[in-house]
Amino acid sequence: MILAGRRIRGGTASGKAVVCRDPISFLGGIDPLTGKIMDEECDSKGVSISRKVFCFPFGKGSTVGSYAMYQLKLNRKAPAAIINSSAEPIVATGAIIADVPMIDGIDVGLLRTGDRVFVDADRGTVDVRNLVERHVVTCIVRNAGRILLLQRSDKVGSFTGLWAGVSGFIECGETDESAARRELREEIGRDKVRLVNRVETQCFRDGPNVWCVHPFLFDVKDRRVQTDWEHQSVEWVLPKEVSRFDTVPGLPQIILKLL
Amino acid sequence: MHLTTWDERVLAGEEGHGRQKAMELLVALGDIYGAKRLIPIASAQISGASFKTIGDAGTKFLEDFSEHAKVTVRASLNPLGMDKKRWKTMGVSEEFHSKQNRIVRAYEVLGVEPMYTCTPYLAGNRPRRGQHIAWAESSATVFANSYLGAMTNREGGPSALAAAIIGKTAEYGLHLAENRVPRVRIDIQEIPLGLEPLAGFMVGKIAGKRIPYLPGLRLNPDQHKAFGAAMAATGAVSMYEFSVPGVRKRVDTSSIEELVILPTTDLLMQSEELRGDDDWDLVAIGCPHCSMNEIKRMAKYLKGRRPAKNSDVWFCTSRSVFKSCPNEVAVLQKFGKVLCDTCMVVAPIEKMYKRTASDSGKAMVYLPTLGKQRASFRTTRDLLEVISR
Repeated sequence: MILAGRRIRGGTASGKAVVCRDPISFLGGIDPLTGKIMDEECDSKGVSISRKVFCFPFGKGSTVGSYAMYQLKLNRKAPAAIINSSAEPIVATGAIIADVPMIDGIDVGLLRTGDRVFVDADRGTVDVRNLVERHVVTCIVRNAGRILLLQRSDKVGSFTGLWAGVSGFIECGETDESAARRELREEIGRDKVRLVNRVETQCFRDGPNVWCVHPFLFDVKDRRVQTDWEHQSVEWVLPKEVSRFDTVPGLPQIILKLL
Repeated sequence: MHLTTWDERVLAGEEGHGRQKAMELLVALGDIYGAKRLIPIASAQISGASFKTIGDAGTKFLEDFSEHAKVTVRASLNPLGMDKKRWKTMGVSEEFHSKQNRIVRAYEVLGVEPMYTCTPYLAGNRPRRGQHIAWAESSATVFANSYLGAMTNREGGPSALAAAIIGKTAEYGLHLAENRVPRVRIDIQEIPLGLEPLAGFMVGKIAGKRIPYLPGLRLNPDQHKAFGAAMAATGAVSMYEFSVPGVRKRVDTSSIEELVILPTTDLLMQSEELRGDDDWDLVAIGCPHCSMNEIKRMAKYLKGRRPAKNSDVWFCTSRSVFKSCPNEVAVLQKFGKVLCDTCMVVAPIEKMYKRTASDSGKAMVYLPTLGKQRASFRTTRDLLEVISR
């Protein structure tokens, strides 16, 4: 899967990813002699970033952190590349003076320590070799303030037993909106629906897959629902009740954005 | 970002490796902040001069970098970790001295003026209203933006150096008029004499990232210096807007979203809170560096008094001010050390003292952290009284 971001410092590099969920300070956060992460809050504490693709949301802490990265380079422990969600001046400066390729604008939440990553900082792209991108639609169907949740049956290939919107793969040659309307027809037998809202694609990591969900909100005139084999039960719920259900990843956020 | 043909040439490495790296840095920062272009600057002021703050890695970087680059505009430095001449009497170790000297030499090779002060505007580099500059020292940027009307962001050490090499900086933040508009109005009731730094200390906390507007702020330039330094230390903004009673000034108040009253009682309470203990090893005056007027005023008070000798005393100033008032300096030297090129914030003070009293609001932020001191705030007058009889 290829992720597109922005070049901060050019160059190319490949290697295994080391991912931190929290902001990093190079001064005090990384051992300059070994390249190991010392930051207590980092979930990859103790892992060395040397010659790895170091991924974290953004930098924090003292401006001397830029020089700390130069020290890593002098000790031959610098990372092969840096990937940030949003670059800030301290890490960007460090990457430039230490000649480390760097990209920002990447959702670091999609990456996991151990991923095989190729960074082309000149183009601003990250190729995660072990990841497959899967595009799906999720339709939230609304009637008089309540929305439709469907429990996935044990015959479907993924997320069995979890609650979801009307969803399915976008098929070859199909736009996402036509996929959404097709799924509504197939899964709940509804043809006459009114598109009320759609928001930007939301991506979620799930093992070797990244689910790129295209969210839609449709209004229907009544609550007639004709399910097929893909679902075992349905409920019309108030949006605030969604948190009581065991849903597929990201569903509550998608509903929040759509409504 | 739009680059000129020359900018592109530099970025491609056709003007040498050092300039290329400097340009890479300016362009990357410009992109991060959404700048549209680079603009010429009149001068640069570079932070990261003390060995204490940049360490071995910073020293090595400057040494390596100095082989490939030279500054092209007027550039000076922040204070060092020691007085270049009287480092021994200051109590600085041989080891620190030799490491500090490597930094001094690297900056010399880079072509940076050997001026080590947080107050370049008092030492011969005073930018004009509307001029773009790339200064790094937080107290100097706030003075330049707010009192002198020049335009600068608070640069990092490497970015100020890069700007000095290229002669340009990225146009974003406080280089753009639309970002120089106050967003919070703070009415300070009355500032008791000597508490100007604490007014700045509190305004910085209230303002956060917003430029504050302070109507009716009647301060002399030295008080502005102390006020702004403290504000920049507790806040994240490098500018304030102010008006003086009786002087008409057009201030754009259209973006003000909050009005805060800062009562005198709050200032007094803050002063009480920062008072700390009554005993100390060092009295440190001159953060930011003392102006000539301040030196003269202190000398006038101390002349005719005798040193109390109950603690060490540092008066920190720029070498240029030091040289321009030798008689007054001689008076102060009876009471303590008049140090140039350095200050209590960036010197290795933790190796010499444990408890420090100062009249600086900025020092109240950095002495306990960077300096590992138990800090006590007193007004300048209080401190002069204590150190003399």
